[in-house]
Amino acid sequence: MSSILTEHETKKLLAKYGIPVIKESIAKSPDEALAIATQIGTPVAMKISSPDISHKSDVGGVELNVNVGNVKTTYNKIISQIKKANPEARIEGILVQQMAPPGHEVIVGLKKDAQFGHALMFGLGGIFVEVYKDVSFRVVPIVKKEALEMISDIRGYPILKGIRGRKPADIEAIAHVLVSVSEMAQKENIIELDINPLIVNECGAVAVDARAMVEE
Amino acid sequence: MLSSIFEPSSIAVVGASNNETKWGGRILKNILSGFMGTVYPVNPKEKEIQGMDSYSSVLEIPGDVEMAIIAIPSQLVLPVVEECGKKGVKGLVVVTAGFSETGNAELEQELVSMVRKYGMRMIGPNTLGIVNEPFKLNASVIGRLPGSGPISFITQSGTLGLAIADWTIDMGLGLCKIISTGNKADTDDVDLINYLDSDPTTGVIAMYIEGIKRGKSFIEAARRIKKPIIAIKTGRSKRGSRAVFSHTGSIAGSDEVYSAAFRQAGILRVDTIDEVFDAALAFSCQPLPKGNNVAILSNGGGASIVATDECERQGMNIVDLAQETKDKIKAVIPGFASSSNPVDTAGTVSFTIYNEVIKALLRDPNVDALIVIYVHTQMSNAMPPAEAVVEIKRKCPKPVIACWMGGAGTEQGVDILKSGCLPNYSVPERAVKALAALIRHREFLEKTKTDEAITGKKVG
Repeated sequence: MSSILTEHETKKLLAKYGIPVIKESIAKSPDEALAIATQIGTPVAMKISSPDISHKSDVGGVELNVNVGNVKTTYNKIISQIKKANPEARIEGILVQQMAPPGHEVIVGLKKDAQFGHALMFGLGGIFVEVYKDVSFRVVPIVKKEALEMISDIRGYPILKGIRGRKPADIEAIAHVLVSVSEMAQKENIIELDINPLIVNECGAVAVDARAMVEE
Repeated sequence: MLSSIFEPSSIAVVGASNNETKWGGRILKNILSGFMGTVYPVNPKEKEIQGMDSYSSVLEIPGDVEMAIIAIPSQLVLPVVEECGKKGVKGLVVVTAGFSETGNAELEQELVSMVRKYGMRMIGPNTLGIVNEPFKLNASVIGRLPGSGPISFITQSGTLGLAIADWTIDMGLGLCKIISTGNKADTDDVDLINYLDSDPTTGVIAMYIEGIKRGKSFIEAARRIKKPIIAIKTGRSKRGSRAVFSHTGSIAGSDEVYSAAFRQAGILRVDTIDEVFDAALAFSCQPLPKGNNVAILSNGGGASIVATDECERQGMNIVDLAQETKDKIKAVIPGFASSSNPVDTAGTVSFTIYNEVIKALLRDPNVDALIVIYVHTQMSNAMPPAEAVVEIKRKCPKPVIACWMGGAGTEQGVDILKSGCLPNYSVPERAVKALAALIRHREFLEKTKTDEAITGKKVG
């Protein structure tokens, strides 16, 4: 049997393996949402947290750049949109999240393979992964040297190295995430995982959105 | 243990026949054509087969039987295998079809249990047999033994394997072993590459793969093996998964994972059957280059441009030649020809020109490997440049790959190259890709060496 982890559950799993995740917390009420937002610093992203909703933005479950004055009303707005779109969905609350820092969007993923164990994927995220599929694969486990190779394998590598005066992305930080995910693959019963995007800039990498399907 | 199958002292052919159009008749004839050990035909319906006494069962055979090859209807296989076990047979080649490949997985499982109960090893079922050329053993339906050589070929497809085997014989490519794996019910790819690794007569492993049974073990074994493994893995077009849950799930089809796993294990995955044997040929007679700096010599500009383009695609470096090298080349080629890499003799061809230029190029410390191209024209003779390259190659430890282009008129030159153990290809791209395989394997060996140094232990 497989089950799908919520974004927040997936992030907790990532954090357990030393992968930096964006600041976030689940609010169960508009007041809690405001408290969390104030603590994190606004503006924030607000996302529905439900084990029954995998594609959150399709059902009006995501609001970005919410200012402090709008946190409470946005909480109620998302809940009512979800209740309309999917009345059966179990709602855990609203995930209040720091807005993603500027940087390159990359994707790190895992897929369990019947023959070879887990395949680890790296590539440019966002539209690049959907259109160009500029990705590289390794079978886990991998060490740091292989992680660095994986990163330099993709066609878009020069983009990460910094072109036209843009600051180079922290390649070491991506390699750290890849090695950590490789380690995670060996210890957890993961069927599929996407960290998409992992935002990487000159100061490091942070998992902004993530989803996982696990074996029970 | 697999040596009982590939190097048996005695063989029973169960299902042997006087009719050479039948499998059992053909296989017996092939075994008798070269095998030096004892052969026992087994067929309860015959008294004499192909001039030999026939036995009604393996249990009736007076002497020891090390290997049995079985070509009888599937419903009769199990009792015969049990008899083989009781007789003390150590290895089986089960040609009979009608097991898991036709949905009869249960019968195949019973077969494997029986084989293992008696501690035997089995190739098949549903195999077209095995060939071990150094042992002069052709226990297969392949019509003739190949020429001798270091390439061992494992093929999952029976008929395609047959056709390829025949074709390599026609190409004059030496083969050491041909193994049709059949259903891989007992002996699988992991066992076979381990066996070929330990086999001193095998230098190169070529594989036609449709699917691997024990992926992780296969990768671990391949990673450890230093002999080059070249594989074509079919089924690229099949999408592994159309899952919509994650991007990773939708992109990571089984083919992408195979590619990654093969690459990590140092298996040279190629796209076409030609490339498997083009690379295998280069491995079988050329040393590995020290780096990826390539020099090209040609008597025609067009061919050297094609070669240069392909070198770039393959990530090879068309190296800048040392001034001394250029000077030596200038001294023998016409003034209007190019002494820079790629070297172009501008149509002039002679033993001396090719000999002197090749010598200069191979002595250049910047050059790791050389591609020598000869484009045939009505004005030139294909033999002198071939003699030139063969003469120098004998004294040089750097790899040299030849490409003699053209139809009638080039054959004698090509024969000289073949007799001089130089791999020759009909077009520059094939020559370059074969050289690229040597370079990639060298890089893999270097990488595992440094990995071993880093971790302080053997990888895999």
